[in-house]
Amino acid sequence: MSSDFEPILMRNVGVAKAADLQVYEARGGYQGIRKALQMSPEELIDEVKKANLRGRGGAGFPAGMKWSFLPKERKVTYLCVNADESEPPTFNNRVLMESDPHQLLEGIMIAGYATRATVAYIYMRGEFTEPFHILQRALNQAYAAGYFGKKILGSDFSMECYIHRGAGAYVCGEETGLIESLEGKRGWPRIKPPFPAVAGLFAKPTVVNNVETLCCLPHIVLRGAAWFTAIGPQGSFGPKLFCVSGPVNRPGCFEESMNITVKDLIYGSKFAQGMIGNKAVKGVFPGGLSMGVLTGDELEMRMDFDSPRKFGLLGLGTAALVVFNEDTDIRDVLLNVTRFYAMESCGQCTQCREGTGWMYKIAQRISLGAGRREDLDILVETTRNMGMMPGLSICGLPDGAAFPIRTLVEKFRAEFEQHIVRQEPGKVERVLRVLN
Amino acid sequence: MVLQAALEAGMDIPHYCYHPSLSVVASCRLCLMEMKVPDPKSGELVWMPKLVPSCQTPVKEGMEVRFNSPAVQQNQQQCMEYFLLNHPLDCPVCDQAGECYLQDYSYRFGQPTSRMVEEKLKNPKKDVGPRTLLYQDRCVMCSRCVRFTDEIAGTHELTVVNRGNRAEIDVFPGLPLNNPLQGNVVDLCPVGSLLDKDFLFKQRVWLLRETKSICPGCSTGCAIRIDHNEGVIYRLKPRFSPKVNDYWMCDEGRFGWKYLQDGDRLTRPVVRRGGEVFYPRWEDIPEIINYRLRKLAEQQTPTAVVLSPMLACEEAWLIASYVRALLPQAVLVASWLPVQGAEQNFPVGSPAEKARFTIRPEKCPNRRGVELLINKLGGASSTLEDLIKQVKEKKIKAAWITGGYSQRDWVSKELAAAAKELELLVMQDLYANALTDNSHVLLPSCCWAEREGSFVNQAGLIQPFERAVDGPEGTRRDGQYLYEIAGYSGLYRAEKVRERMAEQLAEFRDIYVAPDPPEHQH
Repeated sequence: MSSDFEPILMRNVGVAKAADLQVYEARGGYQGIRKALQMSPEELIDEVKKANLRGRGGAGFPAGMKWSFLPKERKVTYLCVNADESEPPTFNNRVLMESDPHQLLEGIMIAGYATRATVAYIYMRGEFTEPFHILQRALNQAYAAGYFGKKILGSDFSMECYIHRGAGAYVCGEETGLIESLEGKRGWPRIKPPFPAVAGLFAKPTVVNNVETLCCLPHIVLRGAAWFTAIGPQGSFGPKLFCVSGPVNRPGCFEESMNITVKDLIYGSKFAQGMIGNKAVKGVFPGGLSMGVLTGDELEMRMDFDSPRKFGLLGLGTAALVVFNEDTDIRDVLLNVTRFYAMESCGQCTQCREGTGWMYKIAQRISLGAGRREDLDILVETTRNMGMMPGLSICGLPDGAAFPIRTLVEKFRAEFEQHIVRQEPGKVERVLRVLN
Repeated sequence: MVLQAALEAGMDIPHYCYHPSLSVVASCRLCLMEMKVPDPKSGELVWMPKLVPSCQTPVKEGMEVRFNSPAVQQNQQQCMEYFLLNHPLDCPVCDQAGECYLQDYSYRFGQPTSRMVEEKLKNPKKDVGPRTLLYQDRCVMCSRCVRFTDEIAGTHELTVVNRGNRAEIDVFPGLPLNNPLQGNVVDLCPVGSLLDKDFLFKQRVWLLRETKSICPGCSTGCAIRIDHNEGVIYRLKPRFSPKVNDYWMCDEGRFGWKYLQDGDRLTRPVVRRGGEVFYPRWEDIPEIINYRLRKLAEQQTPTAVVLSPMLACEEAWLIASYVRALLPQAVLVASWLPVQGAEQNFPVGSPAEKARFTIRPEKCPNRRGVELLINKLGGASSTLEDLIKQVKEKKIKAAWITGGYSQRDWVSKELAAAAKELELLVMQDLYANALTDNSHVLLPSCCWAEREGSFVNQAGLIQPFERAVDGPEGTRRDGQYLYEIAGYSGLYRAEKVRERMAEQLAEFRDIYVAPDPPEHQH
């Protein structure tokens, strides 16, 4: 664990009035865009590619490569900023927007210049009231200072920036769901191809980047790709924000390289400082809910883009940990997880729409102490029959539903079975009579 | 797209959300297939590990796909289990039973019992519009109906509300589904979710017989199907016709035929001579007409033949050529043209050249056919207005007038007054009016569903239609009695008459019959 890690993205967190333009500028802000404007967009894209900046939104797709998918000949390009942070236990974007909004705005400018975007839309989670006001105030300041609008900083580069607030749907964080919602439609993810880079917002070439990804840009421009790739393990370069929540002593958002392990994040003195009452960790969802669950024996997992696969997880996700301790009833965890996806499935693809609802019904019954052994098999089978990975859905939401439920049932199967064995006889029938 | 190609090749690929005339959403996930892609390392074509929607994948030269693999079939079974999880088992009281793709696919891929032990979700039955009911719990969320109102009607009444398995089709408050094309959403619905109030609980669909017809409602001439049983028409449905109406028809056509069953149709021929009224047998009609017309010919009485745009081409030709044979100077007149409202293009607000469907103001099926015959047969012709004048001036003293309109009040006062001056009026019509009351020979007509023949639509396509039902008791098909009057014997077949017409008129060699869509496409 690198204890000498200097905060980069969170360097202004805790600084008084860091959301003010003067404070941000005094602390070296808006130098990245000045330097970027000396470069050509192609050079800028090359630099980001060299830094191997992988998207922080969840999938870890290289940002530079995403930009280079834009067609060469294009008249209009849109930049969408994905600030619809709606993955459970995740609040790193919120911290960045509340504490250092100008860093995000500078990142937006750099990405806009690199992609020749003329308009940026910040799609913000509807429940983010305070971050919205903070960011809007910062945006007004930036406009007044000439950072947005026509001929930015005397260059030929012009860009407008708008904040759009969502209405509270998880699926609008999926990039094409976000685009549909931004267009004023129901946030149903689109079929691909065409990919947003070719035909996205208003059918024009569009780049969708996460808040944290964009916040990395000013630092990459100023300090160079080599500095960025010196941080963290191979393939997972750069600083990363980790959120820790659950019954830990010091929940919060922490910045580190991706060399850190789950155990360090929970027990490290700079991080969550261990479990409340020294309880044992029963399990952790390490990447938001959607990536799957780790048992208390798997805490050695490194929080980088590639390690989670080795533990049967979908990926790094949002790197937001939610820890649950030995007192937690695993049936309640299952109930909570299944409820979230049943509520948030957009209802478009059959397997996801019906599968998530069915799993929630089963979980409700199990949590009432009326499970059956075959329920566990149905749960696992259902999770295998949904998602983009087997090609059964339009977007990744059902993959995100499948992994936590499947890993939960598979990794904690013995405990589920124990509950089922201990049930009083006839309980299933009685509960069904009440439920039905 | 691969799905369309497979359907056209006769394969039965299950699908719900895909419709050839609507945008692709690929959301039902029932048509998934396996596809070969180049291996990134060797470049060799290998089966891709994941399934792909065949409705979304364009056909490419040399591509290899399969639908018969275990993975594809497992997905189909899985999908059917999901579709049925919350679907009520109310087929016995569901109108769609018998033409329901949830039933059909369940028989093929479904399991006999549900593995879900909890209660099914109960969604409400909704009154979404004056003509349509929505049984939400039967819905499979294919969103065809929503896309129809967005993309074809352009009226956007329907939408999806709520998420997950609580998602529902709905209308916006105070804005019911009430556009002139709304009946199509019932046809589009692959299950029994959207139902037509008019047809509701009227008939089990397996009892219905289908007859190919052409809608007489306007000059668009939509290809339709008449669904009937034991001589009663229950509903009209559009037929696929790429040159005319695609897959759609308007409500005006769909429900506009009800006047036929009003029960006060003219049913028996009448002859008036002096003050006396006779009711001759149909068998005697040819002789009566022949006698009357020969007398006109002998006296060289100036005579007119008024051809209605409701007549089939064959019937108009039989009358015109028969009268002309006896009275070569007879004047051919195109009858009254029912025109109502303005042209309605859909999606609403789109210009005519971009319209995907058009309702035309000319509310009759065969103006062009009648005009074509009048032009091609040559000789004297006139307009209805001129005819009235000529009758008043005693330049025309006898007439054979055809009606057959759904508008009972089609006879103008001027025409009615003029008709009283005629020495002989032979009249064909559906309902009693001023002309039929004053006619010397009255021949009751049958409506289009009771006849056969062809109509020429506004674009000039000659489209044949078949007879679905018999007319009310006592009536005879116009074609049959005209055939006999013209001196032919045997059974009237429009096709035979058309062949004769084609000998004279080259236009009738080329008729347009819409191709059948692929059998398993829906």
